[in-house]
Parts: sequence; C-alpha cells; structure tokens
Amino acid sequence: MLMKKAILLFFIGIVSGTVIRAQCTFSLVGKVIDHHDRDPLEFAEIYIPELKRGALTDSLGNYIIAGLCNGNYTITCRHMGCEDISMPITINGNTLQNFYPEHHLQELGLVNVVLDKAPEKTTQSSYVMRGRELDETRGRTLGDALKNITGVSAMQTGSGISKPVIHGLHSNRILILNNGIRQEGQQWGSEHAPEIDPFIATNLTVVKGANSVRYGPDAMAGVILVEPAKLRDSAGIDGELNLVGNSNGRAGSISGILEQNLKRISPLSWRLQGTIKKSGTVSAPRYFLKNTSSEEYNFSGTLGWTKKNYGTEIFYSQFNTSIGILSAAHIGNVSDLLDAIARTEPLEKGEFTYDIQRPNQHIEHELFKMKSYLYTGDAGKLNMVYARQYNIRSEYDKEQPLSDSLAGLNRPELQLEITSHSADVFWEHTSIKRFTGTFGVSGLTQTNTFEGRYFIPNYRNYTGGIYWIERWTWEKLQLEAGIRYDYRHLQVFKFENNVLVSPVYEYRNVSGTFGAIYRLTDNLNANINIGTAWRPPAVNELYSDGIHHGTATYEIGNKSLKPEQAVNTTFSLQYNKKEKWNVEVSPYYNAISNFIYLQPEMPPTVTIHGAFPTFRYTQVNAAFTGIDAQVNYYIVPQLMLTGKASILRASNKTTGDYLIQMPADKLQGELTYNFKSFDKIKDSYITVSGIFVNKQFRVPPNADYALPPSAYTLLNFEMGTKLYLGKQPVTIGLGGTNLLNTSYRDYMNRLRYYADEMGRNITLRVKIPIND
Amino acid sequence: MKNSIKILTAATVVAMSFFAGCKKDEDDVADPSTTNTAEVMTTVKLTFTDSAGVAPTVTAQYRDPDGDGGNSAVQFDVINLLANKTYFATVVIKDETKNPVVTISDEIADESNDHLFFYTPTNVNVAVTLTDQDSNTPPLPLGLNTKWKTQSASSGTVRLVLRHQPGVKDGTYAPGETDIDLIFNTTIN
Repeated sequence: MLMKKAILLFFIGIVSGTVIRAQCTFSLVGKVIDHHDRDPLEFAEIYIPELKRGALTDSLGNYIIAGLCNGNYTITCRHMGCEDISMPITINGNTLQNFYPEHHLQELGLVNVVLDKAPEKTTQSSYVMRGRELDETRGRTLGDALKNITGVSAMQTGSGISKPVIHGLHSNRILILNNGIRQEGQQWGSEHAPEIDPFIATNLTVVKGANSVRYGPDAMAGVILVEPAKLRDSAGIDGELNLVGNSNGRAGSISGILEQNLKRISPLSWRLQGTIKKSGTVSAPRYFLKNTSSEEYNFSGTLGWTKKNYGTEIFYSQFNTSIGILSAAHIGNVSDLLDAIARTEPLEKGEFTYDIQRPNQHIEHELFKMKSYLYTGDAGKLNMVYARQYNIRSEYDKEQPLSDSLAGLNRPELQLEITSHSADVFWEHTSIKRFTGTFGVSGLTQTNTFEGRYFIPNYRNYTGGIYWIERWTWEKLQLEAGIRYDYRHLQVFKFENNVLVSPVYEYRNVSGTFGAIYRLTDNLNANINIGTAWRPPAVNELYSDGIHHGTATYEIGNKSLKPEQAVNTTFSLQYNKKEKWNVEVSPYYNAISNFIYLQPEMPPTVTIHGAFPTFRYTQVNAAFTGIDAQVNYYIVPQLMLTGKASILRASNKTTGDYLIQMPADKLQGELTYNFKSFDKIKDSYITVSGIFVNKQFRVPPNADYALPPSAYTLLNFEMGTKLYLGKQPVTIGLGGTNLLNTSYRDYMNRLRYYADEMGRNITLRVKIPIND
Repeated sequence: MKNSIKILTAATVVAMSFFAGCKKDEDDVADPSTTNTAEVMTTVKLTFTDSAGVAPTVTAQYRDPDGDGGNSAVQFDVINLLANKTYFATVVIKDETKNPVVTISDEIADESNDHLFFYTPTNVNVAVTLTDQDSNTPPLPLGLNTKWKTQSASSGTVRLVLRHQPGVKDGTYAPGETDIDLIFNTTIN
C-alpha cells in the first residue's frame, strides 16, 4: 500500500515540482534493503539531522520524507543490527535514495535477530545464522555448522558425515528446505548426511517445533531452512570468493559466487556458484584416523526474470561427494565389535594421505527448481514451484569381492537411487481486516530403486496435501492457526522367496497448528506454539531385514507399523535490552505416539558371520521434554559474555525406560571482545569459548554394547577482521577447535566404539567480496 | 496479466515434461532385480576323510542359500566323528545366490596371503591343526586344509572363524575382520 502511495507521491511531486519550483514540496523516497540477502528491512530509520525530519520504512522497506526544499543535507539510515549509514545528499526535485545496510549481529547479540525476525515468520522458537556467525562455519558440513545453536546437535559417523539433530530427533523426523525445496535424499541411517552445500546459503535458519501444516509430513521436531540471497534487482555485477584452510586433515575449500543484473534487460538476473573441498586423513590427538579423506564439488546456477507483477526463477544445483569411512569401524560380527571396544586405540592407524580407500561412499544429488509468482491484483500473490531431485548413493564395503571378475568391475556393494518430483501451488493473500494468510496444495511423487545388497526394497510413493494458514496481527499480539490434510500412497516392490510382491500402504492425516506471539513490553516477547505433526513409517522401518554393519545388530522391519503422531508444544520468552542483555529461554514438550524405534529381542539371529543381537522396529509412546537457553550479557559495550544450555530428557512412556541415542546435556560459555573500528581495519573481534558435554547417563538397559563415553570439555577460539586493501575489503578469520588437543569420544558419533574424535584443528578463512 | 499466466504455465509444463522424459530408474521400480550382484557367502561345507582310509567320509554343512536376511539357514549339521581317528578335513565355501554357483574358497586359495582360518574346539576331545600355508615369506598358515585328531567320545562345539586380513596378515587373530563365524555342534562317538 505504502509503496503505491510512495509512487503516487513521487509522481505528484514531479508534476508539482515542475510547476512551482521555489516551494518546499519535494519528496525523498527510497527502499532500505539488506546488503546480503536483499530482504527489505522494516523499521529502518531515515533521518535528516539538519531538518530534524525522519521516517520509518514499512514492511516492504519503503520510506518517504515529503515537503523538502532543494538543497544539500546529510542523511542517515539506521536499522537494528546494521551499521549506520551517514552520507551527504542533494535534494534536487523529487529524489530517490536506496540504502543497503550490512547486518552486524555480534554487536547487538543474536537474540535481537530472532526478535526482529520471528514476528514476521513463525510462532515457534527460531534461530537465524548469518553474517559473522555463518562465516565462522564456512568449510564445515551442514550438520556441523548448526550444532552451536541451542537445542541442535550433530549425529556423526566419524568426522566427515554429520546430520543435524533438533531436540533429539533427526533424519525423517526433521525437514530440510534447500532453497525452498524439501530435501529428498537418502536418510535411512546415521551415515546418510544431508546432500547440501552450505556455501549456497546466506541464511541458515532453524525453526524448533512441529511444522507439518506448512511443510507436510516429517517436520516433527523442526525445520532447517538453507536460504540463498535473493537475486540482484539493480543493474550491476558482484560476487564473493571464500577460501578456507584447516590444519587437521590439511583440508581446503574454495567457493565462489558471481551474479549479475543486466542493465539492458533489467528483468534478467543470474547467479553462478561453485564449491570445491578436499580433505586428507584427519587425526585424533594420538593417532591418524585411517581412511577419513574426503572430497566434494558442488555447483549451482540461478536465472531469474522479475517483472512488476510476475516473475520466475530457474535453479539447478549439483552436489557430489566421496567420503572415506574410518577403516577401523568396519567389522564382521559381534566379537569383532567387542574386540574393537576393548581396544583403547584402533588397530589400523595409517598415515596421512589424500587417497580415499574402501570403505567409502559416493553421493550425487541434483536439484532442478522452477519457481514462479504472480501478483493477483491487490488481493495477493500466487506462487508455483516445481522441483525435481535425483539422488544416487553408492556404498563401497571395505572388502572387494574375492572373485576377480567381480572385483574387476569395482561395483558398489550397495547402490540406491531416488527420484522425486514435487509441485507446490500456494496463494498468499494480503491483509484483510488484520488477517494475512496462505492457502496451498502440494504434491510429491518419488521412486527408489536399489542394486546390490538388500537394504530397502524398491518403492514408489505419491503424497498430496492441502493446507490453509491464517495469521491475525493486532498491535502487540499475533495469532496464527492452520490446518492441513495429507494423503500418502506407498507401493513396495520386492521379491519374497522368488515371488514378486507389491503391497500398497495408504495413510491419511489431518494436522493443525496454533500459535501466538505477545509483546509484553518493548523488551520482552513471548511465543507459544502448539502443533501436531505426523510421519508415515519409512520404508526401512517397514522392510529392513539384515545386518547393520556399523552397529553389529540384525535389524528387522515391521510391516504393520502405523504413522507416528506428535503433539509438540514450544514456549519461548525473549528479553532484550539494547547493549546490555539478550536472553532467550525456550522450554518444549513433544509427545509422540506410535514412536518407531528399534527394540532388542531374543533370540539372536544366526548368520554365516556369527550370531547378531536381534532388533525389531516397534512402536511406543515417547516424550521429549527439554529446555534451550541463551544469555548474552554486555559487561561493557565491547565485551560480551554468552552462555548457552541445551537440556533434553527423552523417555519411552510404554516401557518406562529412556530412549537410546539422545544427545547429552550441553553447556557453552563464550567471551567476545569487539575492537574499535579504524579507517582500514573494521569489525575486529576475538571470541574464546568452552563447551561442556556431559556423559549421557540416561540410556535404556541392554540396548548397546558399550556404555556412553565420559563427559568432555573443549576449548575453542575465533577471531576475525575486515581489512581494506585500498577500496577492496577482505575479511580474514582465524579459528581453532579442541585447542587443548583433548582425546574424547562423543555419544552421538556412531564411530565412538572404534576411535577418538578429531584433535586440534586450526582454520584460516578469507572472504573477498568482488565489486562490493 | 492473462498473458503472464500463460507464460508461466507454459514454462512450468515445459520444465515438467522435460524431466518426465529423462526417467532413468523410474521405470525399473516395479521390476526389482532378483539377485544381489554383490558377493554373498551362503554355504560352508566341511569334508572329513579318515587318514587310514577305514572310517566313512563325513560331511557337515551350513547352508543359507538366500544369504543373510530373508529365510534363515536351511541346514546346519552336527559334525559326527569317530573316536581316536585322524581325519584330513577340507573346507569349501560357496555363493549359492549366483547361477552358476561361485566357489569362493577357490578365490581364498588364490588370495591365501589375505586369509586365515581358526578352528576352536570346546568341550570336545579333538585337536585341529592347519596343514596348508600361504605364499608369504616365511609362509604363514592358511587353514583350508586341516588335520583333526580325535580322542575319547565327547560332545561339544567347534567354532570355525575365517579372518580376512588383506595386507595385514601376521599369523595372529587380531588384524582384519571376520568373514565367517560358525559354531558347529560336534560329537565324537
């Protein structure tokens, strides 16, 4: 609305300006846009000190200061979390001036960003990682990058494979949206990490809580959004080059972005992005972790066509990686595993190399996306998204086949291919009597095939959903409610005793959500959200039948599993006093009925490789209760103390036991000092942090071969600065993890039976903006 | 406005049909492969011949023809030997999921430097010694061929373990990993 007014005023101004030149009737108009992700910034303050006149931007980032005389002035642009901009301006008739401020999270603490963002987006507790904080994670995997957020941990297989865990849940129980598309890869096991290049993102957002209404099945514990910046909307070319080097593994990453908006064809913008990573053998404090080399190369391209009333964007990305799996972790049977646990160090240690030997995995993921939007008059915006994803995962065992003819083929022992097509159409309506909302339908088809060792059967599935979410905003209160209906059709194709069977499973579900945000005072915000979520059983839970080599267990699926149902309640309280306190405390309770898990069973299963303990997929009622807390306190404006805590209690209500494989309590403390900026040296800081992870005392009896590892404490540091070499800024960062080179093992790492975690690692990062 | 709807719809349809065309695995989903292309050990057969040529030849087998998973083993024999005899034993390992059946023990003989068998009797009066060697210098034992010296009547078990030790074989148990681990019930009459 204001945009229209602004344009109208602008033209009125031009007309009147030409007629009555001497009068003070000119307007200064423009937009305030985030420098990095190009989101319009609301509540930015534009001010002309000489006239003591100012204005705030609206939700589209527009501002207007009317009734100005021609002349020379100073103008300032101020926005929470951004560097102030101050510059001279000449008003000569109606004048247009846009601002592109840069976010500086650290200076006001991170919770502000949540406060700033949350009311627009979600009634769940959420956390946005960007700017300096995101820079510090460059070169790491997605799972590793997110684990510093409270309530988030990483489930690992060695140092190279890392999956995000939110409030104790992972894989099919959380949802990852890669550039707006549900990531549909292979995530059956702990060694199946998300196939995403984090360098693509300028924002990594974690929404904690159930979110099935907006995004469909699976989002039981949270959603991770990997969001690239919007394409350029003004003519010009820019880019960024990132270089990262790690001492441990002698690893290097290089990632670049180049983008342009064409002056002659102004609706057309494009972007190219690519990443290459290579790492050699990683080392624990006392020995090399044999066969932990990895390599990765990814690229993506975006082409956008943006007009006033409609636009379309085509995106293609490819992710390719090869990862060596710790040699010592490959075992043949239970006695091998018990021997490995009994050893304090792995038998096979090896030396440094960049070669990837067996066992290893090679993964390729392809994403094609086309998104179009159309403004339906004043009423709203219609969005259409189509995406195709193709994923191929090849797993190579440690041993090659003994038969020379088979070995010569060098085929993977297991290969899984998954192809998904998804289409979403949703209409966002503009405000009607304080209501805004979204109505949408979505559909997905998916096929999965395997070759080699039986792991999961071939299947085809069709999923469709329809949803409606409305939000009501009134001064200090925002209410949100939504409802969704889903249908899934799953058909499995497999041979049983040489007969092809193809059973069909159908699931239907209604989910709902209700949430509220209330601004108690200017400094205090409260959020509450109650949402239901559901997840149909995954095909591995229905049809597994074989040895899980990583854990030396024999896993058996259960064809009669019902869908899981979750009722997830999150509450969040945020207190923010500028440059003094930022506090966020978020307790949650997630009750899941028909929670699917592996239950130990007698007798053991006898195979040619020996007897394995039997585990069968079973359903129980489970409850996840926890609290995430973060406190930032400014001792003096430049010195900030941060404390974080993530605490979770997960219980099996049916048997009265704890649930296995849940993250232990984690506490973090940080001290950050921000140095004063000089002419050519800006944004310098140093952070020292300590992380304490307790021993997981709460485990079910007789479900694991080894007791959870002991508690550990790690010391880390980060420092960074932005140098101007002439006009060219260069951001340099230096970080170190596990500075004391502590030998430790983590309960959430599947390879904890076999070897210690990675030792000390020093990271150097250089970021060079091009044509900034 | 109407024009833009047409453009967007047309572009979406073109994109969808383009990808509907390149199906790769999508047609194969209803036609899963019946065989595991990977190597599967399904069968272990022990054959005992009396060194004096007097006692009858004895065989004992473990067979799980569809490999791990699916159906469990169809045959897991008791080793029945006579007391106070010396038997020469050979072990044959097969992959019965393939057609023709693959004899994996031939491959083990070819790669003798990477393999080592262990035979461990419990509560049964028999002494097992390995009679063959690999081509290492100095040679290390292998265990495809063994000598079983029985004593008084008794019953218990003999555990057969095949260790796969590529590049790390040193004559001991520890290096490498276990390919086969079977506990045969054993009776000496």
